[in-house]
Amino acid sequence: MWRRILVVFIKEAVDNARDRRSLLVALIYPLMGPILLGLLVSAIVDVVTVQPKQKLVLPVSGMEHAPGLVSFLREHGVQVIAAPADPEKSVRDGEHEGILIIPAGYARQFSAEQPATLHVVVNSSRLPGLIAVNQILGVLGAFNQETWTERISARGVDLKVLQPLEIKHINVAAGKHIAEFLLFMVPPLFIFNLFMGGVYLAMDTTSGERERGSLEPLLVNPVARWGLMFGKYLAALLYTAVAVAVQLIAFALIFKLVETPELSFTSAMSPIVIIGILVTTLPLMMVAVGVQVIIATLTLSYKEAQTYLGLLPLVPAIPGMVMVFAPVHAQGWMMTIPIFSQTLLLGQFVRGEPIAMTNVLMSMSVSGLIAAGLLLVAARLYEREKLIFGN
Amino acid sequence: MIEVRGLNKSFRSVRALDNAAFEAPDGCITGIIGPNGAGKTTALRILYTVLRPDSGTATVDGFDTVTQRADVQSRIGVVPDGRGLYPRLTAREHIRYFGRLHGLVGSALEERIDELAGILRMSEFIERRAKGFSKGQVRKVALARALVHDPQNILLDEPTNGLDVASSRAVHGLIQTLRDRGRCIVFCSHIMQEVAAISDRIIVISEGRIMAQGTQPELQDLTGEPDIESVFLSLTGELESA
Repeated sequence: MWRRILVVFIKEAVDNARDRRSLLVALIYPLMGPILLGLLVSAIVDVVTVQPKQKLVLPVSGMEHAPGLVSFLREHGVQVIAAPADPEKSVRDGEHEGILIIPAGYARQFSAEQPATLHVVVNSSRLPGLIAVNQILGVLGAFNQETWTERISARGVDLKVLQPLEIKHINVAAGKHIAEFLLFMVPPLFIFNLFMGGVYLAMDTTSGERERGSLEPLLVNPVARWGLMFGKYLAALLYTAVAVAVQLIAFALIFKLVETPELSFTSAMSPIVIIGILVTTLPLMMVAVGVQVIIATLTLSYKEAQTYLGLLPLVPAIPGMVMVFAPVHAQGWMMTIPIFSQTLLLGQFVRGEPIAMTNVLMSMSVSGLIAAGLLLVAARLYEREKLIFGN
Repeated sequence: MIEVRGLNKSFRSVRALDNAAFEAPDGCITGIIGPNGAGKTTALRILYTVLRPDSGTATVDGFDTVTQRADVQSRIGVVPDGRGLYPRLTAREHIRYFGRLHGLVGSALEERIDELAGILRMSEFIERRAKGFSKGQVRKVALARALVHDPQNILLDEPTNGLDVASSRAVHGLIQTLRDRGRCIVFCSHIMQEVAAISDRIIVISEGRIMAQGTQPELQDLTGEPDIESVFLSLTGELESA
């Protein structure tokens, strides 16, 4: 029997390798998620992590009113240039991200030790504008502090009295947070792809076979019906596994491509992690193919199967999509829920978090049991007389 | 050798077979004839194991089609009602697939494919993919894959339906050759001339009931009609209305 199951498996795998749609779904569709995420990452990397490293170029209007401030800025690594004639228009048009205007009254107020007014023109609706505000206010704040330090110590007051809080800035690399957020998007893309990979094969080998009229002659061969079903099932499982592997490798390559020192994904997709994910999610692949075969067997026609199975991958991806915005802490009981457990474990894998072996085993065995149940149902459906007529 | 006893089969309220009984001996072409919807295909489908009878038995070489399905399946070659091909497989791959499902392998299988391709004159398209095959080519592939394991019993549902004269002749020739080699052949058709031309025994079926069976002269004697067409119409009760 196993030899004949192998014959069916090989036939379906070869037959569908000649089908452009099956190949598209198994080899090309899986690349979409990684490419999308890669574009997103590189766009964000440009804005957030690269620009602060660049020297702040700050156009200043009325430099002559505050030579002390200007030289302070220069000392602190700001490239001070002359401001354009219309600072507000220039910022609005995006020529400059921020402009400092020193009014004529500044010098008088400053030397009289009155609060001296400065204007900072920025456009906070743009992300680079926000970053510029941060940088400009930072350096102006430093000047503020230096000035008051001088003035206070000139009056003989101990500085510590005036500093109830000493706030030390611990800068957690901004890139790490962003990387983690982006990694949360991997599970829904992965689950969607997992439920998509074998879909055309499942339809072609079941409803397609019936519609072509090739099912009836096939059933006459001396192979138990469950054996025929199982050969087709294994072929769909192979295509699913290929799609999943292609996507994981694409993620690994694209993360490597967009990686910067600030935004590191190195731990996310090492070969070990990829193998771990493949093993952990294999039972879910079996569940996915089981559902596909059952739907394809129950539906009347190829078109009907296509309608249901086209929607199918979206549903399991929902928990992962929600978790992008509302992360869930993985707990033992969650491992009994297929799809959900894999979404959680996958998140832990790609974020490089420690993974509890008991969680993996629990997830795998529950999904494995469900997959076995689905296989039994599919085998029973293949035994029905209705199989050759449609439902 | 095929034997059918008291076969009943209903689909919802439609009685497809009503206590049908007949036999088809080895070395004999048995033609089942009847109007559309008479139960021909249902009878064949029970014989080739894709349908189960509600009651009654059907045996192939003594094996029961329900309880000994695999034994029956390895003793029959079938061109069923549905005879679709896989558009992305070549003619040879179709025959090879079914050969392997019957446990044939290697050079013995390839030689058998070549032999069938020779008999059915398939050499011109044997390596071509089935997409775009003509009706005749499809029929030849369907026949070849049904015969790849050289079965003792051959079941054909409307084997020449839609074929041109030359192709029909070729199929008839093949059926007669198989008969001469001692095979048991059962085919159904609604074309009376075809049944009359090649059948050794004729089974007339109407509304699920076997109206008569025997050789052509026996049926003519039974009804007193001069030709097979009148025999058929008289047996199915349509002589008056015709």
